[in-house]
Amino acid sequence: MTGLALNCSINKKSLFDRKHYFYADLPAGYQITQQRVPIAVNGSLSYSLCIDNKMSQMVTKTVRIKQIQLEQDSGKSLHDDTRSQTLVDLNRAGVGLMEVVMEPDMCCGEEAAAAVRELQLILQTLGSSQAVMAEGQLRVDANVSVHHPGEPYGVRTEVKNINSIRFLAKAIDYEIQRQIEELENGGTILNETRAFDSKLGCTVPMRDKEGKQDYRFMPEPNLPPLILYDAKSLPANMNHQQVINIDWIHERLPDLPSVKRKKLVEQYGILPEHSFTLLNEDGLAEFFESVVKQTQMKPKKVIGWILNDLLSYLKQHSLSVQESPVSSFLLADLLNLLEKKEISSPAAKQVFMELWKGEGKTPLEIVKEQKLGLLQDQKELEQICQAVIDGQENEVMAIKAGNQKVLNKLIGLVQKKTKGRSNPALVKQLLEKKLSE
Amino acid sequence: MLRTSLRQVSAALKEGRLTPTELCQRCLALIRTTKFLNAYITVTEETALKQAEESEKRYKRGQPLGILDGIPIAVKDNFNTAGIETTCASNMLKGYISPYNATVVQKLLDQGAVLLGKTNLDEFAMGSGSTDGVFGPVRNPWSYSKQYKEKSVPKSHSEHEESNWVITGGSSGGSAAAVSSFTCFAALGSDTGGSTRNPAAHCGVVGLKPTYGLISRHGLIPLVNSMDVPGILTRCVDDAAVLLGSLAGHDPKDSTTIQDDFKPFEIPNLTDFSKLSIGIPKEYHAPGLSSEILALWSKAADLFKNAGAKVVEVSLPHTRYSIVCYHVLCTAEVASNMARFDGLEYGHRSDMKDSTESMYAATRREGFNDVVRGRILSGNYFLLKQNYEKYFVKAQKVRRLIANDFVKVFRSGVDILLTPTTLSDAALYTEFIQEDNRTRSAQDDILTQAANMAGLPAINVPTALSERGLPVGLQFIGRSFQEKQLLTVAKWFEKQVQFPVIQLEEVKRHDSGVFQHKKSTSFS
Repeated sequence: MTGLALNCSINKKSLFDRKHYFYADLPAGYQITQQRVPIAVNGSLSYSLCIDNKMSQMVTKTVRIKQIQLEQDSGKSLHDDTRSQTLVDLNRAGVGLMEVVMEPDMCCGEEAAAAVRELQLILQTLGSSQAVMAEGQLRVDANVSVHHPGEPYGVRTEVKNINSIRFLAKAIDYEIQRQIEELENGGTILNETRAFDSKLGCTVPMRDKEGKQDYRFMPEPNLPPLILYDAKSLPANMNHQQVINIDWIHERLPDLPSVKRKKLVEQYGILPEHSFTLLNEDGLAEFFESVVKQTQMKPKKVIGWILNDLLSYLKQHSLSVQESPVSSFLLADLLNLLEKKEISSPAAKQVFMELWKGEGKTPLEIVKEQKLGLLQDQKELEQICQAVIDGQENEVMAIKAGNQKVLNKLIGLVQKKTKGRSNPALVKQLLEKKLSE
Repeated sequence: MLRTSLRQVSAALKEGRLTPTELCQRCLALIRTTKFLNAYITVTEETALKQAEESEKRYKRGQPLGILDGIPIAVKDNFNTAGIETTCASNMLKGYISPYNATVVQKLLDQGAVLLGKTNLDEFAMGSGSTDGVFGPVRNPWSYSKQYKEKSVPKSHSEHEESNWVITGGSSGGSAAAVSSFTCFAALGSDTGGSTRNPAAHCGVVGLKPTYGLISRHGLIPLVNSMDVPGILTRCVDDAAVLLGSLAGHDPKDSTTIQDDFKPFEIPNLTDFSKLSIGIPKEYHAPGLSSEILALWSKAADLFKNAGAKVVEVSLPHTRYSIVCYHVLCTAEVASNMARFDGLEYGHRSDMKDSTESMYAATRREGFNDVVRGRILSGNYFLLKQNYEKYFVKAQKVRRLIANDFVKVFRSGVDILLTPTTLSDAALYTEFIQEDNRTRSAQDDILTQAANMAGLPAINVPTALSERGLPVGLQFIGRSFQEKQLLTVAKWFEKQVQFPVIQLEEVKRHDSGVFQHKKSTSFS
């Protein structure tokens, strides 16, 4: 599935090999991997970056996928320096995993982070993996090298022990700097493995240097070649449960993030960068669509509430969408009040803040309680406008003389008098009418 | 009673003429008195008696699990047996208690078989004499037979017993000796280059190497994954068919077993020889083949001809490359398979504490004998990046050629190949150890290992006694998965040659004589 999602060629026949080396967390003395012919090759992953930190300017980049291979996991070693011992946890040794190898097409931490983030979303969408880095479900090693433009690639180092996407970007950028400084000072880069120290924000050489190892690759004799079929090559009388049909899987792939984003933009008329944010936050897109269904407000306006109000509150309180005290139903309710012009926009924000407390009140109840409803009586509003005009002679003269900006001050005064319960657009209309009389 | 076939004793159990406990006790007693053979590393008296008791209950209820219920068997000590020490005759695994049963062991136990113990072998199944294990060599029961003693010239009275004994062959020597000396009715061995057929020939028992992929290797501590198979040792061909029927079949835990269903069969009588074609591969007239065996081979061919079968000379031209090819592939896989013995998780761990690496090195030096270490070093050499193409890949290609030789011959109409199993009868231990393991293996494996390279089924049938009064066997090689045809031919041949029963004093003393052993004329 992952191979297909990453536009790879699937090798209908792939092979397994043994990679030999001695290490405490490798109980068999070898790891089963796919060195000769992996399951998928030559794919690509497209991801987007914002230029200059502006969400409005996004550019699409691609990183080539060299291959995807199946292999075994090793155990875990924990070094206890104080007691000069190593503790070995073999629980995950031998468990199957999938390694995605990218070509060195990325140039900085930001690009790598964006690419990995997109990969994460794809894996989650497919169900291949939960891909949570903090839990080791997705592990990323970065291979970094520097070179002058036009020259061949430099010696690379491998950076391990990266536990989040944020650290990935940091580690890469640090390593790039370190290598540049080293070379500019006349030094050389060693082809070594380094660990990222998240506390210090730097990379350090890893304690166990493997050196140049000959892994003595040998075909794995206990695993015959892995044969996959497609609709054409599927033998007639094969037990359906015993074979994998690539075409069958391809037909059932869910919409990948890039497709989902496109659909959101087309269907709801939101901006591309909005679609990115929607998909970036688990459950946010679904929340948005749910609100849109339940309200008359246009999606283009709803999106503002989702991304600016809801999301920022969630972030402030470190909550996930699923943990939001404001349900899509409540928010839709609130937006309907706003759409029907029963409250003003600032009033709506206040109601939202109140809803966030999660006390179970409906928007309408809050509006009534706090007397936030817009004044519906036009006559009363006209009177207040008149009163303001009467009280602000200088401003009136300035407006009549052509200074439209001063009108805003009058609108503000009306708002004050109505305690924010007037519709600014309507107030402007009324004032203008009166002033032109 | 102990000297009957598996089928016969099983019938006796069913008819109540004998109980499983009695049978088990007799076997255990015989093991005790034949201890000098050193065939067993571990004898599981308590569990065996318990299993026998359970079997007896089933027979009393009239619900035996099958033909194997209550039958005493032995298992080579490189098969994992839950709760029972599994050593591979090596210091590396001395004291190691397996946490699980090998699939074949589990199958036998599920059918009510009584496990008497684990048999002796060459360390990690590397060798052709069963002389290089840490528990000492296995002695061929025929060394103590009337037939051998009559023919041998004693150097001096005191010297006779101690220096005159012959080897069992290997590496499944313990299993072969156990079956040959009547302590059990069947035993499991393993066959990578001939390790079941070679000792079968020297000990005068039937040794069956099944087609690769027919019987699960799960739980068999691997030597060469692409050639190992569990081997079956019994006193007659029919018993081998019984064991085969209980063990063959797909195992999800072993991806190299075939998916097809296996149908256990009863061996039919061979009547129509006109459709049978026996091939005699000329390359198996190997240098060093004794004239005795050559003559027997020829007589056997005539036997088939006279019965009406077509007997033709065939050629397997790449036979002469098989030894070196085997050596490269075998050592490469051995180096890989032995990598797991690092002293960390199980088995022997050295006291060396300076560093992990030095601990590995010391553990492996202390745990393995030089045969094993030698093969690991060779194997790693062949797997080095710079050597991989030259040796490993080349050997794989030659292996394909060797396998194709057989394909061509079978395609040309030949059904079964007839060859000798060994170059001569069993050697004196004192002579055998004059040469090192590697040289011996190279010499002794030559007639048997091509079948492992090609994955074909092969069986040793005891044929006659040599001039020294020791067993000589002949080998039949069949087409892949055509065990039924192979065993049909083998059974007929067995009937024709009437191989003599070994006459051992110890056994006579133990047997109640319920079954008279038949007087037989020997084929010579």
